[in-house]
Amino acid sequence: MNVELLYNIHLEETFGLYIAIYFYLTGLSAGSFIMSTLSYGFGLKQFKPLGKVGVVLATILLVIAPVALLLHAGQPLKVWHLFAYINPTSPISWGSFLLTLYPINCLIYGYFMFRGDMKRTRIFGLIGIPLAIMVHGYTGFILAIAKARALWNTALMPILFLVSAMVSGIAMMILVSIIKDRFFSKDHKQNIPLLNTLAVMLAGFIVFDLFLVLSDVLVLLTSHSEAKEAASLLLYHSFSPYFVFVENIFGKIIPLTIMVTPRFRTVTGMTIGAIMVMIGIFFMRYVVVLGGEHIPLI
Amino acid sequence: MSRPRYGFLIDLRRCIGCHTCSVACKNENAVPLGVWRSWVKQIEKGEYPNVTRSFLPLLCNNCKDPICVTVCPTFASQQREDGIVTIDPHRCIGCRYCMAACPYGVRFINPILQICQKCDWCVHRVERGIQPACVDACPSNARVFGDLNDPESDIAKMIADNSVSVLKPIMGTGPQAYYIALDITAVNAKSEGQE
Repeated sequence: MNVELLYNIHLEETFGLYIAIYFYLTGLSAGSFIMSTLSYGFGLKQFKPLGKVGVVLATILLVIAPVALLLHAGQPLKVWHLFAYINPTSPISWGSFLLTLYPINCLIYGYFMFRGDMKRTRIFGLIGIPLAIMVHGYTGFILAIAKARALWNTALMPILFLVSAMVSGIAMMILVSIIKDRFFSKDHKQNIPLLNTLAVMLAGFIVFDLFLVLSDVLVLLTSHSEAKEAASLLLYHSFSPYFVFVENIFGKIIPLTIMVTPRFRTVTGMTIGAIMVMIGIFFMRYVVVLGGEHIPLI
Repeated sequence: MSRPRYGFLIDLRRCIGCHTCSVACKNENAVPLGVWRSWVKQIEKGEYPNVTRSFLPLLCNNCKDPICVTVCPTFASQQREDGIVTIDPHRCIGCRYCMAACPYGVRFINPILQICQKCDWCVHRVERGIQPACVDACPSNARVFGDLNDPESDIAKMIADNSVSVLKPIMGTGPQAYYIALDITAVNAKSEGQE
């Protein structure tokens, strides 16, 4: 039957690009914090070169990230309301505490690390791990609890966000290690054993991420009508170039091939692969946030 | 008598798609250009000579279990005892989370005030014992507003006598805007170019 829509009101974008950027930055921050604690929290000595740079990046990124939130909010001067009136059922209320505690903890952890007080560094590193997981995990809950959107309203969302945060965090650490040794070390010698370990970790997290994305899309494809619409938006319609090609092929499958093939796993190969992963994860945030609210509700 | 629980009913057998409700709402609530608290979606279906138009007047459902109230981080969105969901303009910070969570897309950011607003069934009129502006304005009496808990009210009688439906019951928010003769084609129609 021929149906023509004559008149309707178009909804405005709710979250949009600023929130996608915010999710990307918190993900990178959580990922680099966790990489930093591998040596200073858990005592894995081979990750020691990432400790200091990891915590510096984690702090800077998490100071920049809420700026995106301020740009997004209609009344940025009223943000103190988030601390004055707390709704325990709203993930944004959880976030107001996490976004305060996590950077403070990062600063304390970094302070003791640079002072060389290893015992206290370890304590604040270990406190920071659940905070880092929550500060990015809660962003997954923000989307999952917004039940209007089929693409968001899934219990996979928090874990999907955490795994992609680790993917982007490890990729950033590969780049950081390469840049540090290339430009800021005395002998300009790359730390190949560390890079190889990071490459293998990155490959593992990419495989986990691909598995989660596959599970998500397969279930959407067979679920209710709005879920099917969301899946077809990602697979066949306007978001498929970003989802299929940029996020998954360019940002995950090609870097995965680079990281697991010894012939490609050179310093150049890893640099290219890590950059591709970081672009891919940015487009993952973009697809989830903007794709999620692309289909009209009514 | 029990406390009132307000409800809304739109009898689509009577709706003529004149948009008077939308205009009355704009006027009553000083709704700025480009945004609407209440509007009428229209479709045309079939092929000549078997063609018809369907109307779908939309407004806030003032749900029983409103997700907007659940997710609002500052308690700006609150549910009154009579069931109407209101937004405190001083509390709202314009974070848009409620807009993202509402399955009915009835919330918008006021372009002047930069806070979220929506239809509240003209709560300022209801408190003074008069009908919402759109109900008063509707020329074909297609819109009915009243107390669902009072079995003698027009709305309670009409819901008892007719087969009624609500939008997207699967969302579990318990919408309290009921429709008689709801056309699912009008509900499902999406704008062109969007899948």
